[in-house]
Amino acid sequence: MLIFKIALRSLLRRKSRALTIGALVAFGTLLLVFGQTFTRSAGIASRDSIINNFTGDLILYSERSKEKPSPFAFNTPLPVIPEVEKIRAYLETLPQVEAVVPFAQNYAIIQTQKDGKSVELPFIFYAVEPATYRRIFRNAQMRQGEFFGVEGGVAGQGILISEYQNAQYQKNYGVTLAAGEAVTVLGLTEGGSVNALRSKLLGLFEPRYFKNVFNYINFVDIQSYSALYNFTGVAADSLPESLTRGLEASAGNEEAIFDLAKDADFGKLNLSSLRSETLSGYTMIAVLLADHGSVDQVIREVSAAGLGVKAARWDEASGFFARIASALQAFIILATGLIFLIVAFIFMNTLIINIVERTSEIGTMRAIGGEKSFIRRLFLAETLLLNIPFSLGAMVLSLIAVLAAGRSGLPLPDSISQYLIGGGALPLRLAAAPFLEALVIVIAVSVIATLYPIRVATGITPLAAMGERAA
Amino acid sequence: MSVVELIDVRKHYMLGETRVEALRGVCLHIEKGEFLAIAGPSGAGKSTILNLIGCIDTPSEGRVLIDGTEVEHLSDRELTRYRRQKLGFIFQSFNLIPVLNVFENIEFPLLLRNSLTRKEREKTVMHFIEEVGLADRLKNKPNELSGGQRQRVAIARALVTRPLIVLADEPTANLDSETGHRIVDLMRAINEHEKTTFIFSTHDEHIMEHARRVISIRDGLITGDKAKG
Repeated sequence: MLIFKIALRSLLRRKSRALTIGALVAFGTLLLVFGQTFTRSAGIASRDSIINNFTGDLILYSERSKEKPSPFAFNTPLPVIPEVEKIRAYLETLPQVEAVVPFAQNYAIIQTQKDGKSVELPFIFYAVEPATYRRIFRNAQMRQGEFFGVEGGVAGQGILISEYQNAQYQKNYGVTLAAGEAVTVLGLTEGGSVNALRSKLLGLFEPRYFKNVFNYINFVDIQSYSALYNFTGVAADSLPESLTRGLEASAGNEEAIFDLAKDADFGKLNLSSLRSETLSGYTMIAVLLADHGSVDQVIREVSAAGLGVKAARWDEASGFFARIASALQAFIILATGLIFLIVAFIFMNTLIINIVERTSEIGTMRAIGGEKSFIRRLFLAETLLLNIPFSLGAMVLSLIAVLAAGRSGLPLPDSISQYLIGGGALPLRLAAAPFLEALVIVIAVSVIATLYPIRVATGITPLAAMGERAA
Repeated sequence: MSVVELIDVRKHYMLGETRVEALRGVCLHIEKGEFLAIAGPSGAGKSTILNLIGCIDTPSEGRVLIDGTEVEHLSDRELTRYRRQKLGFIFQSFNLIPVLNVFENIEFPLLLRNSLTRKEREKTVMHFIEEVGLADRLKNKPNELSGGQRQRVAIARALVTRPLIVLADEPTANLDSETGHRIVDLMRAINEHEKTTFIFSTHDEHIMEHARRVISIRDGLITGDKAKG
């Protein structure tokens, strides 16, 4: 009680110094709490935006692929996933799985006419199963036409392009496409041939989230896509037994291959019994989970199931965009760290000035029986009595700011919002962690900044009381 | 039994590169209840003797015994406790704690001791406040008091723990002569009431007249020891 009384009154005696330090501590706390709340909220909003509109919680892709899936980038298409339906059926047996959305990413050329001349337009797209994709991912707001007619309207096969893409066509090629217009889509197959598909522009859309990426991504229905890229194969159940033996032998030694000559059935192989099968061409399967926390468990289960696919978490699949919030958080932590470093330095110097001014007082306390521990506790109490209330005050201000912004979300400039959270206002989420972290940091910085001044203070001997002017 | 014994005490310290001989072999015995002045010009070694008796400095050579205890071998913590238990200090510049009022300044040593209940503390503090005549100034801060009043607070603070010895380093040096006389009268009266040993340094001839015993010191050596009546 005595210590707190002296500490508090000593602070009040040097109000302007105390206010300067307190203001710095408050500013640091405000930056820390609000900054952490902002970045945590941005991290959550960004994650939700990516998971619920583009990737799900994880993306499955062919185990033959050397690259990770990157639906946010325009890389070389990944290898096609075989037996998508088998994988889908397996995933649907897992209790954690809420939805399964297969899709492919590829590029093609749209051929159209302008003034009687053929114009070729670049076209990056997702090939989707329209009903499934639309039910889960709502990132396309239709401006003209319908999303493949899955929400009423006329169902159909064809393509959708973004309004921005259309504007770019106009800007760069002098061509504007309109919903309902017939187009020819040209695709370069893996074999090197160019396939042409008569198709139709079913509509124009505007992306809701991450426009800076998805303005360039368009849609094709999966049937059109499979036809365009010749995704056909031989149905496994139509392969004759002898062919299977032959294929197995070809993987063995030369002797096994020569032995095939002795196989009478192999010699009579009838290829007319083979039945062709249309493959989907899907390169990625987005898996949405009921509980985001079960991602690792689902990845383990899928890997163990031997489905011929690998899994990437949503943040691995979304690259740069998943890391913006973390980068911002790191920046805020760095900035706050710098501020607290400055606060600690100023505070330490101010305390040393105080101690020098109070040499006689400290010496007197020591002379009349105050132990070093008393002096230590006195200066620690002064530090905490100053810093904690200012820090708590800043926390209250942060709380008010978070609550005020919480209802409608914190409005952000669209360009920033698009990069940070995919677009729109940022809903600030109140959490105890930033407040507790700030309190711990303020206490830690206060204690650390007080260590050296305390050493100076406890080094003052009672002799200092003898010859100096005091009260 | 002597409450203070200084046996062939020498004290030297370095002032830059110059070795200063503050005490050059001092022997001194002080009995309980004495009202003793250490007199001499500035730099004679008065304050050094007080500092040694007050356990806030240690001798370079010789022995210092306070109430039979050799103090030069005690640790810093033990010395602090010793000062808290046995000694009271009155400083030339009063040295009150500026943020505490009169009552709180006097109470301060008792709080450090932490041996009394709140009621006992209040009673003790009020006794000494009345003794020094400051009952109407309880709530005043040091900067609201005159020099004489501040020194009265310092006297009460030195006495409140009922120490064995009160050490006063030139207690009247910052006071006008009339106030100085009053302060010494007060100290002497308390010495008679409370039987507390008072040892004070001074170079003021008039103040010396109030002392029952005057130790004269010059150039680090005792040059006279006069007892009165």
